[in-house]
Amino acid sequence: MASKIEKEPKYIPEMAQSEIDELNKSIKAASIKVIEDNIERMKKTWKNRPKAMEYFDEISNLFGKRAKELEEQKAAGKKIIGYSCIFAPIELILAADAIPVRVGSGWYDTAKLGDRIMPVEICPVIRSTVGAKMVSLSPYLELSDAIVIPLTCDGRTKLSEMLSDFKPIWYMNPPRVKDDTHTLDMWKKEILVIKEKIEKLTGNKITRQKLKEAIEKMQQATKAFRRLQELRKGAPVINGRDAMLVNQTSLWDDIERWTQKVNELCDELEKRVEQKDYSSYPDTPRVMITGTPMIWPDSWKVPNLIEESNPQGVVVVDEQCSSDRILYDPVGVDEWNMSDMLNAISERYIMACTCPCFTSEHGNEDRINWIIDRIKEYKVDGVIYYVVRGCILYAMEYARIKKVLDKMGIPVYYLDTEYTREDVGQMKTRVEAFLEMLEARIDI
Amino acid sequence: MLEIVAETLRATIAVGLILAGILAILIWVKNLTRKLSAMRLFIQIVSVAVIFLGLIIGPFGLDQWAYLGTAPRDIVVGTNILGSPYPDGLTVPTFSCYYASGRTATCVVWQLQSYLFPDYATSNVYLTTGIERLAIATGFLVIFSLIFGRFLCGWICPFGLYMDLLTRLRKALKIKHWTLSERTNEMLKQSRYLIIAAFLILSFILGMNAIAGIELVSESELGRYLEIPFCQVCPAKPLFVLVESGLGYMDIDYALSRTIGDFALTGWYLTSINIVILGIVTVGSFMVRRLWCRICPLGGLIAIFSRFGPFKRLSPIKITKVEEKCTKCGICKRVCPPQVTDVYEEKGGDVTVSDCILCFRCVEMCPYEGCLKVEVAGKPIYKSKNWLNEEE
Repeated sequence: MASKIEKEPKYIPEMAQSEIDELNKSIKAASIKVIEDNIERMKKTWKNRPKAMEYFDEISNLFGKRAKELEEQKAAGKKIIGYSCIFAPIELILAADAIPVRVGSGWYDTAKLGDRIMPVEICPVIRSTVGAKMVSLSPYLELSDAIVIPLTCDGRTKLSEMLSDFKPIWYMNPPRVKDDTHTLDMWKKEILVIKEKIEKLTGNKITRQKLKEAIEKMQQATKAFRRLQELRKGAPVINGRDAMLVNQTSLWDDIERWTQKVNELCDELEKRVEQKDYSSYPDTPRVMITGTPMIWPDSWKVPNLIEESNPQGVVVVDEQCSSDRILYDPVGVDEWNMSDMLNAISERYIMACTCPCFTSEHGNEDRINWIIDRIKEYKVDGVIYYVVRGCILYAMEYARIKKVLDKMGIPVYYLDTEYTREDVGQMKTRVEAFLEMLEARIDI
Repeated sequence: MLEIVAETLRATIAVGLILAGILAILIWVKNLTRKLSAMRLFIQIVSVAVIFLGLIIGPFGLDQWAYLGTAPRDIVVGTNILGSPYPDGLTVPTFSCYYASGRTATCVVWQLQSYLFPDYATSNVYLTTGIERLAIATGFLVIFSLIFGRFLCGWICPFGLYMDLLTRLRKALKIKHWTLSERTNEMLKQSRYLIIAAFLILSFILGMNAIAGIELVSESELGRYLEIPFCQVCPAKPLFVLVESGLGYMDIDYALSRTIGDFALTGWYLTSINIVILGIVTVGSFMVRRLWCRICPLGGLIAIFSRFGPFKRLSPIKITKVEEKCTKCGICKRVCPPQVTDVYEEKGGDVTVSDCILCFRCVEMCPYEGCLKVEVAGKPIYKSKNWLNEEE
């Protein structure tokens, strides 16, 4: 699986092959255990978990079914294009008959490996991804023929440099200001460049018809995704963790199959709404999570804490690029010609996005509007502002969000953590105190 | 030679119109309740049929044209306004062209210009004074503008339908449209008012002989044209006259023979400038959606009485936006035919502006439930929804 490296890597230190193999083996075993443990915990909290969830449990195994499928498809000549962030235009990858797969990683153990080249202040997502590369852990990263890295934050900018020794990296330079026509023009050009690169790598031309099909495929996914989100508006029929897992699997699963499975899940859940068969008590405090992406499997520690604590909370919605923001916005095409489709794609990935890497005349107002709307729509009782240490942009926006939420009378709790399992006990106390306060408010 | 051209044109236009009608009905039957754009197309076609009713139901076999007032084929409504004879018929602020026979109502721009000078006061066609007629025309303009605003442009105007059909043709051919820069658009928008001022002043000056006794232009054929200056450059006039000729209700040879010549030399129905402008606007609006609407003085007139000052508050049809639900995805900005940016840029509340033709394409395409709403007198009648659920 290892790609040929002729020159010496710019960042990554030399490691003995035996050490790599040993670490790979041990981290992989630990990770599989974490995945199984997470699923076990989800099942424990939600006794009669729908049958349709089994599929997502299976696909959630990062070293399992999907990795094997990708290997087979790669052997059959299909190209696999990795991407580090949801800014990458998936429709274009699909239109060229390539397979898009997200490569950012959430392993706590590999973050420790990343510490060998980076100080601990650096965003752990980056450290973890680089660490995974050091021991060739992530099957998706290893299988990728090229990786699209949108340079959204400083971490990703340097990440692209570190990974460039191993894979062809396609940089995308998103503008930091959204409201101007000229910045959008620049991004449209980036999209065109990526389109050419994809065409060159795959050897398939992205035709109008194929792009249309790809857009429609993604629209179907968005439709299914929104259907699931709609179900979370009422009394909880699905626990937050399960929904987040479903959302996140869309990043590496085959999108058509995923859409079908989500629809199956929704069918089942809709029946449960009628039967009033809830996953948690209807008066459970409704929590929203916002902030840094929570990447499967290790970052599940926070939603696990929320939904297993006493008093229990249920995550009804979130504002994270690892879950709710992945598929919420559709590509809205006015005229089905190449030019308008490309315009629609470029606008969808940048204009509708609420990433804190943006600013504008009024600040990142879109994000605040999104949060306010979600709070009202999903009847949120309290917000957990989740930040991993080193995620500067999310940490900086907290003060503004807090001001807005204070005005609305919605309690918000700043939960900062690290890519480590050591602080679970201490976090449990903090989360429980917050949920107790929420429950007290509900009782009044 | 001319006859062959005329016959071909006639046949082509007739077949084209029949096909367009069948297509529209098919689209309508399939999607009326689902797609606002299809419903709009249907209402536009019905409106054109109503405006030029005489073209469809006759009476045929009569003279097409009369020197003044109503032609035999006109089915003009509103010829008596509060006891005051009003032979040119109901004033509507759309391109219901005076020159094409068979109309039911009359374009406000023609009426304003021709009533501005009391030339016809001396003729026996009108029994009322120019001022009286001008007051009625202005009254209708204000009432229509206040009630419907530029809804008339998006849903009723026959020339708007023509441009929309060109857009649909371009869409079918999968050709991309051109986008005007915001500066050009703004310039066109401002020049509407200049055009209004220019034609009002010109028609006043050129028709001065009846007021002050000074004859600037002799009472010749040319003179009669210059008294109604805007109609001689308007792109809608040749279109309707040609369609009418093509359909066989008017002798096309006559129209053609009268337009041959220098730019300055005018014919009875059309000027060469008319035809050149129609050509430019046709090519332009094939490439740029609703090109003429951006500069249309008629739209400007409606805008004055529906989007500014006290009229803005009274005007009932509005597009409103809920700030929190908007993610600024930019779809509304991209799909807007006259490229209005305010729906996207405004934070929330009433986002209707003077260059919005109220076609509601933005509301139809907005993918966020309840973000954009069409309100009539404060009551929401149509709102944006998750349109993904409606696609196949």
